Amino acid sequence: MVSTVNMAVNLGGIQMRNPINTASGTFGNGMQFEGFYDVGTTLGAITCKGVAAEPWDGNPAPRLAELNGAAIMNSVGLQNPGVREFVERYGDYLQGLRDRGCAVICQVAGHSLREYERAMDLFEELAPFASGFEINISCPNIAAGGAAMGATPAGAAEVMRAIRPRTGRPVVVKMAPHDVAEIGRALEAEGADALSLINTIPGMAIDINTRRSRLARPTAGVSGPAIHAIAVRMVWECAQAVSIPLCGIGGVANWEDAAEMILAGATAVSVGTANLYDPTCAARVVEGLTAWATQQGVSEIGELVGAFEA
Amino acid sequence: MSATLHDFEVLACKLVAEDIWHMSIHTEVAAALQPGQFVNIHVPGDGAHILRVPLSFSNANGRNGIVDLYFATVGEGTRRLAAMAPGDRSTLVGPCGNGWKLPTEGGRALLVAGGIGLPPIVAAARMLATAGIGFDAVVGAHTATKHVEDLIDCLRTLSKDEGCDCARKVVLTTDDGTRGIAGFTTQAMEVLLAENAYACVYTCGRHAMMAGVANIAKGRGIACQVSMEAMMGCGFGACSCCNVALVSGGYALCCSDGPVFDAEEVAW
Repeated sequence: MVSTVNMAVNLGGIQMRNPINTASGTFGNGMQFEGFYDVGTTLGAITCKGVAAEPWDGNPAPRLAELNGAAIMNSVGLQNPGVREFVERYGDYLQGLRDRGCAVICQVAGHSLREYERAMDLFEELAPFASGFEINISCPNIAAGGAAMGATPAGAAEVMRAIRPRTGRPVVVKMAPHDVAEIGRALEAEGADALSLINTIPGMAIDINTRRSRLARPTAGVSGPAIHAIAVRMVWECAQAVSIPLCGIGGVANWEDAAEMILAGATAVSVGTANLYDPTCAARVVEGLTAWATQQGVSEIGELVGAFEA
Repeated sequence: MSATLHDFEVLACKLVAEDIWHMSIHTEVAAALQPGQFVNIHVPGDGAHILRVPLSFSNANGRNGIVDLYFATVGEGTRRLAAMAPGDRSTLVGPCGNGWKLPTEGGRALLVAGGIGLPPIVAAARMLATAGIGFDAVVGAHTATKHVEDLIDCLRTLSKDEGCDCARKVVLTTDDGTRGIAGFTTQAMEVLLAENAYACVYTCGRHAMMAGVANIAKGRGIACQVSMEAMMGCGFGACSCCNVALVSGGYALCCSDGPVFDAEEVAW
């Protein structure tokens, strides 16, 4: 079907040909999906795996458990090669995505304010291919920083205050699944260009025979279709609290899920866990969403953002 | 060839040992599969369990498109997989991972398989036989009813088929002594090592068994390849969930760096 709907969106300064993005940590750095479809000419954006100033080993095995009820739990813990090695390995490929019209969002990770600043400075210097940055202040799987810094409006604001002067490019902040209205307002006040939500929801999976966690750590992040309704609710709450654009994330497994996110107030939508078990999912979501927008009779997809009527 | 999505059709699915199934499928990707690689199967019909099931194969025939998969029913995914019938269709992701390498030094190979680690070992045997490299094998199982007869036969007949004196010995072990040598594969391995000279070892089985095999091989200065197993999210390097600890520090990914590793790289 030829669509006349303008599917382009602007996520806080990140120009996207369509609203579909990928959740960090579920899409490698894009190239792993080139065997499935042409990433650069298909998606609106990709968000790369979180990267810190220096390499991180991540958490011990096992890092993954499958749960009953359309969900998984992971505790990868942001295994990454550090900004320099990341740019060395993936920079040319990611520039190629930009050249083909796909925005590239680099995710910035840290254990402390100083580490966030250092990673941001390195990215700013070494990653001209980045359309913008996503600051991960909500990873539930690292011992310090991460979720701890994003847990309160004051903590989140402090990270944003440190990051803001270090780049002129758009900054998106990845939020934890709680207090999204208050924390969203604090981030907006400190100059965040957009917010992405939600990160995985902390959970536990206990092996009842060994009485130990099914993963190497006692708690880990729950994701997958099971958390979608919770994520839609949080996007809706956050959208009412802030005026900057949102990227909706959480259990998006088909175009209908993405459409719900948009109606709840998301300008962009990330496909996450579904990339792992259904690797062509994000490409099909783009198609389905375009058909839906056409059927809705709008001239641009933006008209449907926040069109939910309570 | 990088991993991509392929359709497959089930040709046969039958119970071949206690809780162990042989599923024969037809897929266009068969010709691209290398021994020791794996495919990641979508089991249709249950939205509550979302992850694919990664499976190794004993043989991938590029001429007729048939791939022979073996799996143990251990969880919900494999139980539903066992219920698939001839004519059922689904998708798989493949080829996944890096397979076995031919030995760099001449001489016989020793294959050590434990439990459901046998199918990729049979794939290694085929690779060696095709290259004219002789081998002996140790095949262990917890108990006699868990030995997969047709795969053991396959190891035995490979030598005749290839006419290269391949499988001089296929030694069976069971933990409970119900068939073959009573004890672990590592014990049978020690016996064979005392009798013969081997240039390399190929092993797949439980982590503890492979650690033992790797340790024995290292002690004798014999190169050893291991096919590792880990809980996998994607099977193609996107999620970093299937980490394998390395001697050099940090982790490799079982799915995209492995599943076959040099045993000396792995921090057992």
